[in-house]
Amino acid sequence: MSFGTLFLAVIAIAAVAFALSRRKVLGLAQGDRRRLHSLPHYHGMHAMLLAAVPALLLLFGWTVLQPVVVDRVAVSHFSGEKYDTSGERSLAMSEVRRVAESIDALVRGGKLGTSELETLSDEDLGRELDDTGIPVLSDLPPQIIDSARIYRSVSATGDLIKLGLVLLLALAGAAYGYSAAHPDLRARNRTEMGVRGLLVAAACVAIFTTFGIVLSLLFNTIEFFRIYPAGEFFFSLTWSPSFGGGSELGIIPLLWGTLYISLIALLVAVPLGLFSAIYLAEYAHPKFRSAAKPLLEVLTGIPTIVYGLFALLIVGPALSSVFGRGGMGWMPSDTAVITAGLVMGIMLIPFVSSLSDDVINAVPQAMRDGSYGLGATKSETVRKVIVPAALPGIVGAILLAASRAIGETMIVVLGAGAAARMSLNPFEAMTTVTAKIVSQLTGDADFASPEALVAFALGMTLFIVTLGLNIVALAIVRRYREQYE
Amino acid sequence: MDAMAHTDQISMSQSETLTEASDNKIAARSVDVFYGKNHAIKNVDVDIDDKTVTAFIGPSGCGKSTFLRCLNRMNDTIDIARVEGDILLDGEDIYDKRVDPVQLRARVGMVFQKPNPFPKSIYDNVAYGPRIHGLTRNKSELDDIVEASLRRAALWDEAKDRLKESGTGMSGGQQQRLCIARAVATQPEVLLMDEPCSALDPIATAQIEELIDELRQNFCVVIVTHSMQQAARVSQKTAFFHLGEMVEYGDTEKIFNSPEDKRTESYITGRIG
Repeated sequence: MSFGTLFLAVIAIAAVAFALSRRKVLGLAQGDRRRLHSLPHYHGMHAMLLAAVPALLLLFGWTVLQPVVVDRVAVSHFSGEKYDTSGERSLAMSEVRRVAESIDALVRGGKLGTSELETLSDEDLGRELDDTGIPVLSDLPPQIIDSARIYRSVSATGDLIKLGLVLLLALAGAAYGYSAAHPDLRARNRTEMGVRGLLVAAACVAIFTTFGIVLSLLFNTIEFFRIYPAGEFFFSLTWSPSFGGGSELGIIPLLWGTLYISLIALLVAVPLGLFSAIYLAEYAHPKFRSAAKPLLEVLTGIPTIVYGLFALLIVGPALSSVFGRGGMGWMPSDTAVITAGLVMGIMLIPFVSSLSDDVINAVPQAMRDGSYGLGATKSETVRKVIVPAALPGIVGAILLAASRAIGETMIVVLGAGAAARMSLNPFEAMTTVTAKIVSQLTGDADFASPEALVAFALGMTLFIVTLGLNIVALAIVRRYREQYE
Repeated sequence: MDAMAHTDQISMSQSETLTEASDNKIAARSVDVFYGKNHAIKNVDVDIDDKTVTAFIGPSGCGKSTFLRCLNRMNDTIDIARVEGDILLDGEDIYDKRVDPVQLRARVGMVFQKPNPFPKSIYDNVAYGPRIHGLTRNKSELDDIVEASLRRAALWDEAKDRLKESGTGMSGGQQQRLCIARAVATQPEVLLMDEPCSALDPIATAQIEELIDELRQNFCVVIVTHSMQQAARVSQKTAFFHLGEMVEYGDTEKIFNSPEDKRTESYITGRIG
């Protein structure tokens, strides 16, 4: 029975438990739901949770853990010097898995009976596999075929036990839930506990996933630093990966590009965003505001690749026609820091304006009244009272926008060029950390080479930078919130 | 000259109603206020004396705060509010097109119900008005104004060692006195107070009331209050508002001891409100 069917079976058992328990308590209460401690559907839910939750947990856990255990059993059958290192063993293991899958295919295709398989010698089985055209090593070592057989049998046993245990657990839960169903049962409170557990589990999944991502980044980064000196990575001024080896992988030119482009983006986004926020919050008619704000926020919904196209096809050529060879002669090509920076700035406007608008609106009306009451004009009030009062929130908004800018990829890939260069000229092409992560992983480099692994070190650096910015931003925003609550 | 002519005209035309015109700081004539379709103030006439505390009392929603906010055109900041009739400050119509509401509010200061110091230092709070109106030539003059204003608000002794600290860190009563100092610092002629003690404890309230009595020597003070005892304690004149009308206006003593109108009497004795 496959995972999906088993899952549906458990759900079906739970649904039956729901219906039966609900009917049982209603029956016990002679159809008068006022005699029940909890509403009937809570009694049903109680039985349903008891049936479904433990069984599903077991199902998921078993499904995740079984391959690990089976691998371990199969691996224990390898011996000899050939399989000494872990690399050799995992290579052999993947071979075993492939052979096992091929045998499965043969059995499923009806070319091989189960009883036949038992009696077939290793050599014949190897030939049989060759005949099917399934790509297997032609001279399979007997150990592999042996292990494949064991792999298959252990997996089959495991699947069977899983099926039995899961169904048993579901039925046991349903039976217990049904037998416990009684008008006096505090089903509502118990269901509440179940709901709480569900929410905790959801939160845990999110947290553990984040944790897992960070750990995988971390381990690969450590792996990278084992084969490439950290000092050179952090301090070398050259970035010239060559897949033949002997590359120089200094992060500084990339960080420089990232920061330069982000700076230009913020120079565009912060004034425009802030001014439009002030206009919307303080000057605009409420009707205009309620129409304009969503429109501005539509900008956040545009995929960044579309901004990238906009940079590549419109902004780049337009800038080039003014500053390029035809005009000032400063801009060698369409792709440049300024192209990517301008477009990214436009992308960030709604981030700055929407958040700033919210914090400006959160400044109490009493502040405005106080200022107007002293004879201040609107712009004096904005400059001297509202913006200072909202400043922590505005800074938070800007920092959040900055961390977006630093992590942005598609606009840079299309708009900024690919040359890792350190220059002050904003009309030069440069590149960023994110763009280089893309190019390092999309090549056909050996995954264990420093040229590929460097992507993880770059990602880790970027992660730490944006994490730091986010923490600072959130701390500022939080402190601001405390001020008026 | 124009303003003078205007003043003359008004005092001529209303000479019967304006007794002792020279003492009247503020004169309101048939003022109506509308919030959208809601008729919030109905045909109010009132003369407010200089160097006097005038109290507006009345049940919630009777329009006393609304009327107070007409006196410095704070209602201008509310889109749907519309004011009709004449309000004269020193004989000059404050709703005239030539009057700049921003300038007017520097002459008619306001203290609000809830203390609303700016999230700035105590010094900067008080210096706010003088700075935006350019009332000083140099720093030492500004220092003098800040000190004088804080003294007037009876806050100098508590604040002199912490002028650089944030105004929002003070206690509620101190904050309200800071707001009074801030209003006084622009050297207004009239001080409007919209229930200035309703967010304060009894001790802070007593301090503010004492202060209001002192402020009377230099300013024309108009105070809106929910507390009849407070009106009786601090004011010399009292106006009773009910359902948007000004029912009765006169010496505080008379209003509280021998009111002419039935409604005033009912309110004072606690039967309505």
